Amino acid sequence: MMAAEAQATRGRGDAPLPPEPILRLRNIHKSFGSHEALRGVDLDIRPGECLGLIGDNAAGKSTLSKVISGTYIPDVGEIELNGRAVRFSTPSEARDLNIEMVYQDLSLCDHVDVVGNLFLGRELKRGPFLDQKRMLAQAETMLAALEIRIPRLTAKVEKLSGGQRQAIAIARAASFEPKILLMDEPTSALAVAEVEAVLGLINRVKARGVAVVLVTHRMQDLFRVCDRVAVMYEGTKVAERAIGETDLQELVDLIVGKGGH
Amino acid sequence: MASYTERQAGSRLADYLSERAQVLSIALFFAICILFFSATTTTFLTTGNLLNVVRQAAPILIVAVAMTLVITTAGIDLSVGSLVALINALAAILMAAGLPWPVVVVLMLVAGGLIGGVQGWFISYQGIPAFIVTLAGLSILRGFALLLTEGYSIPIRDAAGFFWLGRGEVLGFPVPALLAILVAILGFIVMLHTQYGRQVVAVGSNMEAARRVGMPAKRVLASVYVVSGVASAIAGMLIAARLGSGSSNAAQGFELQVIAAVVLGGTSLMGGRASMTGTVLGTMTIAVIGNGLILMHISPFFTQIVTGTIILVAIWMNTRLFDRNWRFARRKPS
Ligand SMILES: Nc1ncnc2c1ncn2[C@@H]1O[C@H](COP(=O)(O)OP(=O)(O)OP(=O)(O)O)[C@@H](O)[C@H]1O
Ligand SMILES: [Mg+2]
Repeated sequence: MMAAEAQATRGRGDAPLPPEPILRLRNIHKSFGSHEALRGVDLDIRPGECLGLIGDNAAGKSTLSKVISGTYIPDVGEIELNGRAVRFSTPSEARDLNIEMVYQDLSLCDHVDVVGNLFLGRELKRGPFLDQKRMLAQAETMLAALEIRIPRLTAKVEKLSGGQRQAIAIARAASFEPKILLMDEPTSALAVAEVEAVLGLINRVKARGVAVVLVTHRMQDLFRVCDRVAVMYEGTKVAERAIGETDLQELVDLIVGKGGH
Repeated sequence: MASYTERQAGSRLADYLSERAQVLSIALFFAICILFFSATTTTFLTTGNLLNVVRQAAPILIVAVAMTLVITTAGIDLSVGSLVALINALAAILMAAGLPWPVVVVLMLVAGGLIGGVQGWFISYQGIPAFIVTLAGLSILRGFALLLTEGYSIPIRDAAGFFWLGRGEVLGFPVPALLAILVAILGFIVMLHTQYGRQVVAVGSNMEAARRVGMPAKRVLASVYVVSGVASAIAGMLIAARLGSGSSNAAQGFELQVIAAVVLGGTSLMGGRASMTGTVLGTMTIAVIGNGLILMHISPFFTQIVTGTIILVAIWMNTRLFDRNWRFARRKPS
């Protein structure tokens, strides 16, 4: 616990030597038709660190995180994981390397129950059959760890509220020992207590050495959990700041493009 | 000071009923059909006739189970009737050519799977709508059946074991009906209790989400057409075994009966929502109506009109009467 807090506050005070990046992106380009969503982005992601990714709507934050999670294949550019060049051709390859993502659109299956969604893609089995009992029991612990309350875990996800759905997507990404956890606006639909729980979660997984990327429009959250902030503008990264060396006003100016670039 | 109270948990029974409203309503409709034909005909409720109904329903049920998987992925397979006819004719031709019947059975199952696989490849890997691919299949496969038989019916001789599949009885119960029940139970287990069933639902519910969590989404999508191909092959052989011949004119309008049965059972054409129990009830309802109308001496052509009407009404009920959660939609006060 002490170590966790010590580590969580690191990066704000006297900057220690930054650890080697676990993931290194170089010159990432991605176009959709004629539209250049990403125009050459460099980014380092370090273990035990939370990187805030901010920028205007359509700046390319989601596209960049999806490149990292293997959902999109970049047109140009290199990705290095632990110093080795990798190329994900499907999200499952990234997932196999412990890269997990909370998608902005959540990516839940409405017609599958809460338990099924938490274990989607890695169902527990007993012989040829789904082990529903064990999945239900583990789902309860997963949700309890995040202080998420959902009355009936066998209810179909379509019957849940927006915030409950978001909580499930977060629990799914965070519960299977990720090494890199990408969260694309994970708190946009959450109430006060639930946001606190997610911020607490980020600090906890950071303390375990997980690299977190947090895309958010809630500036106040950045200062609570992030160690660095990268600002995107029209498909490029325009600035990167250690959290201790910046303030709200500067970040806002950088987002809207008054940062003197 | 306002006092904080916890919301009461809804009653388990109410949850259960609202989740199964669709199946319960088709069960009710089925019961009404049975009561109606029992009252209006003297022969409907005899053991002989009921066994006849289940024997007739067997091929429909077998393909309807597979069609439930297809429709759960938000797809459709219009080619099943033509594939049944092709397999039906091909099996007769091969047996007439002297191949032993067990070999023919295996060959036909493989052929059905392959044909389904080709259609699945076009749908899943080439992104052509299932409706188009299987509509083409409907035409092509029936055409091949006509070409092979030149329109004649081909008799099957000296294959007692094969005939047993279509006409035999075990403890007084027709073999094809037993097979169909086995297939339905298998479908039920696969859908609810296996990873493959979960993948089928996930792909139908949210294909991109299934891909993102690492499911082989395209392979799963293609595979349901293999399943419906194999099921059609079984149905085609059961029909050949019952009639003792193969004909390119077998199973006319079969695809409509199958789709009607599945949709009537509450499986959503939009994908993601499946009900195997509903499919069984829907199939039996279609079979009972077909049988009852004949017993009432109503023109057999009328059955087609009824089947079509059932499809329309069932889909209308699915989309209008039941809301997203299969509850009866209440008008919200505006
Ligand atoms: N699948 C796609 N097809 C076509 N264009 C896309 C696609 N995904 C993203 N884009 C485009 O790429 C640009 C960047 O989109 P992206 O979703 O990355 O923005 P964002 O920074 O996440 O914005 P927001 O804050 O609104 O979520 C946008 O102009 C968008 O229209
Ligand atoms: Mg976004």
